[in-house]
Amino acid sequence: MSQEPIIKISQLVKKYKGSSVNAVDSLDLTINEGDIFGLLGPNGAGKTTTISMLCSLMSPNSGSIIINGIELNGNNNELKKIIGVVPQEIALYENLTAKENLKFFGEMYGLSGKSLNDKIEFYLNKFSLKEKSDKLINTFSGGMKRRLNLIAGLLHSPRILFLDEPTVGIDVQSKNVIIEYLKELNKEGTTIVYTSHLMEEAENFCTNISIIDFGKEIAKGTPKELIKENTDCNNLKEIFLKLTGRSVRE
Amino acid sequence: MNRLLASIKKELLLLSRDRAGLAMLFLMPVFLVLVMTLLQDSTFKKLNEKQLPILIVNHDADTFGINIVKGLNSANFFKVSEDNNLSKKELEKQIEKGNYLIGIIINENSTNLIKNSIKQKIQSQFPEEVGELFEIDGNKTDQVKVEIFFDPVLKNSYKQSIMGALKQFSAMVEAKLMFEIYSSLFDELLEIELKPTENFSQLVFFDEKYAASDQNLIIPNSVQHNVPAWTIFAMFFIVIPLASNIIKERQSGVSERLRTIPGSNLIGILAKAKTYFIVGFIQAILMLMIGIWLLPVFGLPSLQIGKNGLSLLFVTIAIIMAATSYGIVIGTIANSEQQSSIFGSISVVILAAIGGVWVPNFMMSDLMVNVSKISPLNWGLNAYYDIFLRNSGLYDVLPSIGLLVGFAFVCLLISLYYSRKVKT
Ligand SMILES: Nc1ncnc2c1ncn2[C@@H]1O[C@H](COP(=O)(O)OP(=O)(O)O)[C@@H](O)[C@H]1O
Ligand SMILES: [Mg+2]
Repeated sequence: MSQEPIIKISQLVKKYKGSSVNAVDSLDLTINEGDIFGLLGPNGAGKTTTISMLCSLMSPNSGSIIINGIELNGNNNELKKIIGVVPQEIALYENLTAKENLKFFGEMYGLSGKSLNDKIEFYLNKFSLKEKSDKLINTFSGGMKRRLNLIAGLLHSPRILFLDEPTVGIDVQSKNVIIEYLKELNKEGTTIVYTSHLMEEAENFCTNISIIDFGKEIAKGTPKELIKENTDCNNLKEIFLKLTGRSVRE
Repeated sequence: MNRLLASIKKELLLLSRDRAGLAMLFLMPVFLVLVMTLLQDSTFKKLNEKQLPILIVNHDADTFGINIVKGLNSANFFKVSEDNNLSKKELEKQIEKGNYLIGIIINENSTNLIKNSIKQKIQSQFPEEVGELFEIDGNKTDQVKVEIFFDPVLKNSYKQSIMGALKQFSAMVEAKLMFEIYSSLFDELLEIELKPTENFSQLVFFDEKYAASDQNLIIPNSVQHNVPAWTIFAMFFIVIPLASNIIKERQSGVSERLRTIPGSNLIGILAKAKTYFIVGFIQAILMLMIGIWLLPVFGLPSLQIGKNGLSLLFVTIAIIMAATSYGIVIGTIANSEQQSSIFGSISVVILAAIGGVWVPNFMMSDLMVNVSKISPLNWGLNAYYDIFLRNSGLYDVLPSIGLLVGFAFVCLLISLYYSRKVKT
């Protein structure tokens, strides 16, 4: 396993305009191809900010991001082709049906015709949305919207998938379907970068994790390694609480 | 290209599900154009009357009264009705009712009063030794008073033209009377019989010509004003669904998702512009069809669109460009859908009001006419007037097109600057 990491972040800094502190503060991360990488941290830790920079949605104040051997700066269409993004919010059109949404995003990725339709059918079946596929999504439950939000980022079969809290606030069944499918995808070779503050889920899902707080990394390794290192803790959640404290965040 | 089509398809789908938006874009203007055209029909008719209807009560059946009536009759500008039995009250009532725009009362004895004044003046030219030349009724030397009543809707320039005409006629009568009095004086003093002169009324001939480029001279009828006015108004209401679409995309995170898709940065905005272009065109065609075919059903005149299809096309394109760009800038700057709807609709209504959509330019005071020049709706409306009423060619409407396109560019530049600023 001495290959080049697929993502390498060095000394990354992001400070929002008008803010006095760095949202991401001298962050270093290394993610290897085939990882399920968990970027974990309490609310406001800087997870979304980091993901946004990885997806070229915003530019860092300093530091560098190298993805697949290419250094990110500004708009890189080649990189955009190999990444898939599942944002934290439900980034879909409320007044389109499930199918119309998927068709639109698929076409935006340059897919069309039968291959796109087949893919849409496949995913709608996979995520149990087939029956409601012609309903406007403003009639959907939170779990259904999350599943659709996920599919919209998968249609073009990306090599790297960024997921920002994909399972937050939804029913157990929806969570389970999502996590199980992501594992399947990973087995087929997709690198997954996932943020969460749900430690139980992360513990059995991620191959590697990094815990960040106030924009800085405070722990990293495999879940097993971390539990071994912290002898006073039985699981990831306890480690997390020990490291980030028990006070309530934003 | 595929992506652009996909985006346009998506925008059309979204719009087709936006019932309030559709009603605003298509039903509201149809309703407004019907109601406003019918409401303003009689007002426009009055303003538009080639001959101003005048009601005269002439109590002076002598040179002055007769010649004033004759003079007004001979000027093609007025349609004179004479009813000498009306009281002042009754005449005022006729004006109030709108049956006539102008009422004139010529008082009894006016001719005699004028004669007396002339005789007095002549007498005063002679030395006292000459003695009394005329028999002058000493009490009847007051000034002659002609009373005039105007309908308040009458434009100032019309008031001035009637006053001008009256002054001209009375000067002529005065000259005629003076001539007569001098003639009779010569008769008496020199015992020469002078031949009567007939025509000395017009020593100078005024050749009147209308400069067609003068905006104020051509007054449209209710249809010619209201159809283009509400069409432009409706096209500017594109702003509201368009801006709220942009804001929805931004707030839902869709626009961020789109930014992670390769090569789709400008497609979104381009697709919106094209979609609303289609919408604007449908609006324009719908409204023109209503003007041409539906309004006549209600007893109104049919819309005349002139002969210059090319000018019409380009002006329409320029108006839609201005409207869509305005929508884009509001969608970019506003923080919420509510904010954009309120600001969008209020600003369009205000721009319409000052732009001469509700009350046309030619009914406005000079101050408001100048203010109206800042409204893009006014630029569009004037261009439509030019095409419909004056058959203006592309060259003539180029200034309006330039302003509208310039406005569009400024809006787009502001949105571009603003969206850059927000990203980081
Ligand atoms: N657009 C923004 N402007 C200013 N501050 C922001 C903005 N977005 C996030 N922040 C701040 O940056 C920090 C990190 O936020 P974020 O990356 O969203 O955290 P997380 O995703 O881990 O919950 C927080 O303190 C948050 O308040
Ligand atoms: Mg977040």
